[in-house]
Amino acid sequence: MTAIRISRRGLLGSALALPFIRGASAQGSEAYVMGTLFPLSGPNAEYGTVFTAGAQLALQHIEQDKMLKRPIRLQAEDTQALPQQAVVGMNKLVNVDHANWTLVGFTAVSKAVAPIGDRAKTIMVNGGAVGPDLSGLSPYFWNVIPLAHLETRALLPYLVGQKGAKRIALVYVDDPLGDAILGILRNELPRAGGQLVGSFSVPRTAQQFGPVAARVRQVRPDAVYIASFGAQQSQIIKGLRDNGVSQLLCSYSAMNLDSVRTLPEANGLVFTGQKMDFEGGDELTRRFAQDFQKAHGKAPTIYNANYYNGTRLFALLAQEIEKANGQVTGDSLRETLLRIRKFPLVGGIGEFDDHGNMMAAIEVKEFRDGQAHHLAG
Amino acid sequence: MDLMLVLQLLLGGLQNGALYALTAAGFALIFGATKVFHVAHGAAFTLAGYVFIYAWNAGWHAAIGVAAALAIAVLFGIGMERFVYRPIQRHEGSFFTVFVAAFGVSIVVQNLVGMVAGRGFASVDSSLSQGVEVLPELFLAPVFWVAIGTAILLFAALTLFLSRTHAGVALRALAQNPDLLRAYGLSSSRLSILAFALGSALVAPPAVLMAMTTGLNEAIGNHVMLLSMAATMVGGIGSLRGAAVAGVLLGVAESLVLLVLDTQWAEAASFLVLFGFILFRPTGLFGVVAAK
Repeated sequence: MTAIRISRRGLLGSALALPFIRGASAQGSEAYVMGTLFPLSGPNAEYGTVFTAGAQLALQHIEQDKMLKRPIRLQAEDTQALPQQAVVGMNKLVNVDHANWTLVGFTAVSKAVAPIGDRAKTIMVNGGAVGPDLSGLSPYFWNVIPLAHLETRALLPYLVGQKGAKRIALVYVDDPLGDAILGILRNELPRAGGQLVGSFSVPRTAQQFGPVAARVRQVRPDAVYIASFGAQQSQIIKGLRDNGVSQLLCSYSAMNLDSVRTLPEANGLVFTGQKMDFEGGDELTRRFAQDFQKAHGKAPTIYNANYYNGTRLFALLAQEIEKANGQVTGDSLRETLLRIRKFPLVGGIGEFDDHGNMMAAIEVKEFRDGQAHHLAG
Repeated sequence: MDLMLVLQLLLGGLQNGALYALTAAGFALIFGATKVFHVAHGAAFTLAGYVFIYAWNAGWHAAIGVAAALAIAVLFGIGMERFVYRPIQRHEGSFFTVFVAAFGVSIVVQNLVGMVAGRGFASVDSSLSQGVEVLPELFLAPVFWVAIGTAILLFAALTLFLSRTHAGVALRALAQNPDLLRAYGLSSSRLSILAFALGSALVAPPAVLMAMTTGLNEAIGNHVMLLSMAATMVGGIGSLRGAAVAGVLLGVAESLVLLVLDTQWAEAASFLVLFGFILFRPTGLFGVVAAK
């Protein structure tokens, strides 16, 4: 009788333990979780669509090439480009989804989520934000986009030297990105032989720029630098042009959006961005450009490429770790990045510094007749 | 102080104020007559603006685009009354339930517009919005006259309608005493639909003009709603005339504030005016103190 009772207990215990045994054996094929913290709604949602398109294409290629033993699951969190929403999303990614890797964008969002990723040792890769203080934000925070100080360093000599624009006015969004660009222009314009003749901050929610244009005209600039993002940057361009600001308009890589490119008022806008040759580059770059064109019916932008690279970088690092039979963790990913440093990415070999910043060449471009044309760099 | 800058900011403020006034008057008309806090009023604005942009891009005549914008705004307003507010009021009708339902609809509209029309900035390229130098350092676009003219015309028509027609008088009566209205055999539900149709129609002209001037994005409804609420409170809850005057006042305030403060404060000026009224004249410009 006792023997039967024991065997019943044993049977019951075995039955209860079964799911855990199955779970342990299945762990090897469990998907890696890649979280995205992009704006998917609100006035900056256009970026979310662009960023996600790049990441999704990279996931397709990773799967086609069978780069990893385990699949990757994309887990999207909508930040609306707001720090508060991003913190909620990051906490969920880290604590609930146990994300191995996260893709982030926007300076304010990146700065808000970095401490959470830092504590959880979860890698965060930025391919869209350019605030200069994003460098060294955390050992687990990396940038696959050159930051704003590198962009302005390329633009200012061109503005002053080639365009003769010495008196620059700045219209900037009241946000860490805008503040950072104000600081850069204050410091670097005099060195380039120019002068910051006026700076006009606007709230993130501002929609009317007629009054701002009136103030800008008063300082009689040779050029107006716009430091904003999303729908607002198009509104600023249109607001300035419609209200009598005929001077040269210039900006940074955030302008590289379809909605700006096709805006008639943006004709002649000069801006900076990473230098990438999608047509004449290496095989990886050409494959990226061709498949993107096939999937979306249009040529990719730099943002598409950056988030493709941000996603591919995970696969390259995890592949190395899998080969060595190691565990894919924040620390092992970081250790692998710092050990290898150079990776084949879209645009060529991407080389990372000690802070996890990818170095890249910058070019000066101009929107003309709805297309971006190379000017310098 | 630079006189031309003062004039420039004043005229710019009047142009924006005229558009705010129309939007706010629509909200005030609906709220005054039906006591429904129609938070989805901004969604009607978004829909009207995007339909006009669609029509413009499709190469339709501008008048057809305006008519289509008007039609979608009116249909949306009637749809909200018929299919959202009325069923809620039939069962429970608490302010909070109505508010949350309307807020939910706004979010749905925002996302639908984003999915259909694409996320990001959208505008129409019209010479009406391009400013020309009419005096040294004074730029004025033709849209200024269109905005002012439209606002004056619509307010005159609305005033005539509310004071000279049976339906208009009944609408005012609905705002003051719905029970008495029913005692006279009038249908409050039909009048309610009329209020929503008229109030929503008032957002179409500013939506069309804003599509030309500042451009739109799918989230613009939230901004429009905030301004409408602020203007309604400053003007005096339920007062159509008050909302119109307050709309102009807020537009001028957010422009003229740049004479003395940084550009950062332009939007905040509207809300500073609102706080000022809440603190020192809670009934607003034309509101009356309700007896308790």
